[in-house]
Amino acid sequence: MPRPEHHIIQFTIDGREVRAIEGSMLVDAAKHGDVEIPYFCYEPKLGNPVGACRMCLVEIEGIPKLQTSCSTPVKDGMVVNTQTERVRHAQNGVVEFLLVNHPLDCPVCDKGGECPLQDISFGWGLGRSRVIEPKRHFVKPLALSPLVAIDRERCILCYRCVRFSQEVSEDYQLVFADRGADTFVATHDGHPYVAPFSGNIVELCPVGALTSQPYRFRARPWEIEGAGSICTLCPSQCNVELTVRDEKVLRVLSREHDEVDDGWLCDKGRFAYQSIHADERVTAPLVREGGELREAGWERALEVAAGLAEHKGRAGALAGGQATNEEGFLLARLMREALACADIDSRAGGPMALGLTQALADPKLQAAVPDLEFAHTVLVLGCEPLDDAPILDLWIRKGVRRRGVKLAVATARPSALDASAKLVVRYPPGGEHAFLVALAAALAGDDQAAGDESNNGARALASLLTTGGEDVVIVWGERIGPAAAQMPAIAEHLRLAEREGAGLLEVPAGANGRGLREAGVLPGAGPGYAELGHDAPIGRDAAQIAAAAAAGELTALYLLETDPVRDRADRHLWNSALARASLVVAHASVLTDGIREHASVVFPAESYAEKEGTVVHPDGRVQRLRAAIGHPDQVRAGWSVLAELGRRAGHELEVPTSAAAFAQLVEAVPFYAGLTLDQLGGRGVRWPARELSSRSFPAPSATPAAEPGWVQAGAPRPEPSEAAGPKRPENGMLRLGTYRSIWAAPEVELSPALHFTIAHQQVELSPADARRLGIASGVAVEIAQNGRSLQGIAAIRTGVPDGTAFLAEGIAADSANVLTEQLVEVRKA
Amino acid sequence: MSPYDPGEDVIAVQRAPTSGAVRGTYRAFGETLRGLKTTFARIVEGTTTIQYPEEKTPVYPRFRGRHKLHRFEDTGLEKCVGCSLCAAACPADCIRVVAAENTPEHRISAGERYAAVYEINLSRCIFCGYCEVACPFDAITMGHDYEMSDYSRSDLIFTKEMLLAEPIERTPLRNEGE
Repeated sequence: MPRPEHHIIQFTIDGREVRAIEGSMLVDAAKHGDVEIPYFCYEPKLGNPVGACRMCLVEIEGIPKLQTSCSTPVKDGMVVNTQTERVRHAQNGVVEFLLVNHPLDCPVCDKGGECPLQDISFGWGLGRSRVIEPKRHFVKPLALSPLVAIDRERCILCYRCVRFSQEVSEDYQLVFADRGADTFVATHDGHPYVAPFSGNIVELCPVGALTSQPYRFRARPWEIEGAGSICTLCPSQCNVELTVRDEKVLRVLSREHDEVDDGWLCDKGRFAYQSIHADERVTAPLVREGGELREAGWERALEVAAGLAEHKGRAGALAGGQATNEEGFLLARLMREALACADIDSRAGGPMALGLTQALADPKLQAAVPDLEFAHTVLVLGCEPLDDAPILDLWIRKGVRRRGVKLAVATARPSALDASAKLVVRYPPGGEHAFLVALAAALAGDDQAAGDESNNGARALASLLTTGGEDVVIVWGERIGPAAAQMPAIAEHLRLAEREGAGLLEVPAGANGRGLREAGVLPGAGPGYAELGHDAPIGRDAAQIAAAAAAGELTALYLLETDPVRDRADRHLWNSALARASLVVAHASVLTDGIREHASVVFPAESYAEKEGTVVHPDGRVQRLRAAIGHPDQVRAGWSVLAELGRRAGHELEVPTSAAAFAQLVEAVPFYAGLTLDQLGGRGVRWPARELSSRSFPAPSATPAAEPGWVQAGAPRPEPSEAAGPKRPENGMLRLGTYRSIWAAPEVELSPALHFTIAHQQVELSPADARRLGIASGVAVEIAQNGRSLQGIAAIRTGVPDGTAFLAEGIAADSANVLTEQLVEVRKA
Repeated sequence: MSPYDPGEDVIAVQRAPTSGAVRGTYRAFGETLRGLKTTFARIVEGTTTIQYPEEKTPVYPRFRGRHKLHRFEDTGLEKCVGCSLCAAACPADCIRVVAAENTPEHRISAGERYAAVYEINLSRCIFCGYCEVACPFDAITMGHDYEMSDYSRSDLIFTKEMLLAEPIERTPLRNEGE
């Protein structure tokens, strides 16, 4: 749906003429006249108002009874009074009623000091109560889930948490049980409220009824400071406010940005802050001596790492998703300028031609996040928003529920959004390429090329996309790999570039995937997707780096906040590559397998709460990270380590501060031109929306279709197998698909509060396959392929297509990246 | 001419006529003698110097000295629930409270939470008594002890155990009417 138009009307409040948007609720409109109306239950983010708390009563001339201003839309010429005796009497009464059952335990309540009920009782209450009857009692405190504590005595039944569960996250778990004076918030059958967004109800609760378990009794509002920053645990890059006490992050709150996160956070973002202060975190430089990593001083560690200079031209580098633009930019400079190496990569999707990369990043094609809400049709292609960028899942649900957006899901694995979708298309894992070719053909009206019966899905999808309205937003995942080559054609058929509210939104694999690419952490492009000069060699991508290192062609590897053994495909190849490399320099905050086994030097990496720098949101918004706490122990800023290594390699990078690195980046990237840290401020700047940036975006260096991949530097590479189409399951083997759970992150493993969510190998099977193999849900299974095997727990999902098994990757043990072939054998363990 | 010309603002000081020798001597020592008269008149009353620290001035009941934390007399539980209101009220910012949760096996205070750390930096405290006023549970009161000097600053940070312990009664309390 297109964005609604706003009409300005005039109304009178407390004798003041005020202009407001027609149809906005009176509580909001009153703010234009500097009139504050108290309320508890009203929260526009939760959808339509319910008028449950009765706190916002006002007098409207012409209406005999008092009205709830949270559910009364403002009209032209309305005359509203909020300060009359009648209104005051009603407000006093409501406060008195709300406090009938509310215990007076403010000194022990975590909400005390930042509690709307306290404030409103003080501001609009009478100050005394006439009630002498006993208050109702519940068992307290109770754990609503391992993350949220519930105190039902304090609850004022405002409906906020229930509405969140029913209408925003749509997990439908929280309900009001019983009725009348006995009403209380609960889950249907008393099971714990475990959901990916459950932590939001803590922030929504206007009283202390729902409190955070990890934050329980940690600090009071006058003992803390709020520090704004960006969460870099996933590409959603939610704006957060970190609660800091005594140089420790104790809580993460949303710093509502209505074009990024809409005021929500996922539980990973909200509770994984505990990893910042985990004992297991690396906080001092480590150097491998006698086969074991030992703590060493910075001088020694830098000296060992400076050995990179001896590997000139034979070093490769990978940057992980949590690295900032500045770190990526300096890494690229260090590799290209000081070490004469072009083998650097940050992508997870495999090789991609420069022209294609440029075409996909074209500012005209970029959809902004709010476009998801106002589009006619949204297509989720090859990604699972809930796992890859959780807040996008909430945005899509919002659009479908409130704006009538038509949702189509085209993925290999069943998605959490299936239930909301108008059309669901399943293609086999690895079949992205064939599917997108068919889709592009169907969009072009070429029914012959669109293929046979098996491509009915593509045809149905094409007709939905073309007939559903002009504004189409395609949310696609970087993990679809080389199939992305079809995206420009699809975008052209749908004319996405011509419409303001239409476009592509790529979900990168790493949190700052987009920023790192723009900073030039690509094997074939400099900062700003610039073509490398003719004399500059085009480097290897990640998979080729692994192969080259395993073959001994690369002798040193630089791992910037990434562990390829855990994060990337083909664990065995990476293990042998890292083992063969004579120098492995890593920035890491936790010793994951690859780092622990193979790193020669480990520099302690900063957590996002300590970083200064910038990141880029998938929709092109450049956002700024601000340090909330000082560096613990011996941790140093990543940019300063890179600058020091440059100096030791004989190439001064000239970055005395993080801001200087940003200035260099702005100078190097044409479409950032003119950006300053001040401009970014707390809200960031979306560069594709800037006139100046769009003009300075590089023209595609070649037609995307004409260029098969990076010009190869290493050994010739076989054509991507996807082009040949996925293999059909045979001999009782199953096709292998992979997924990466939202919880598959080292930060989750280090956070005690999230231990119950740690992702294990869960093998998703279709009911038919499970029956055939005699496997029940929850039993241990063994997955084998080419003599390699791993253990997992079976989970039977009805949406999984027959003949397919989905395995988790990115997890600590038994990750699917051990397997390299397309077919696997699943059997009972 | 000087850069500053006072003009008509010049004030001429008028002095009294100089006195003679006798009158001059009296002017010099007369007031001293008048003071000495009071001194000598009090000699008969005996010494009033208090031999501190052997002797101490009694304090009034509302005297605000070193803080005390209290327990319930019947259950022995701490009255303090670690709400930090004292820390919020403290103008010198000398109170630090870190709270923790009571468990049925490990119950410290009567409420859900208790003060795991309760420290008062007495070298910062200005003994205003706001903490006592702010406390919703009468868990902290100001005692009568004013002898707190020590050899190191860190020894002046009083911990919860020190504040809970029965203080040594070193300071006599002034009786009514005294």
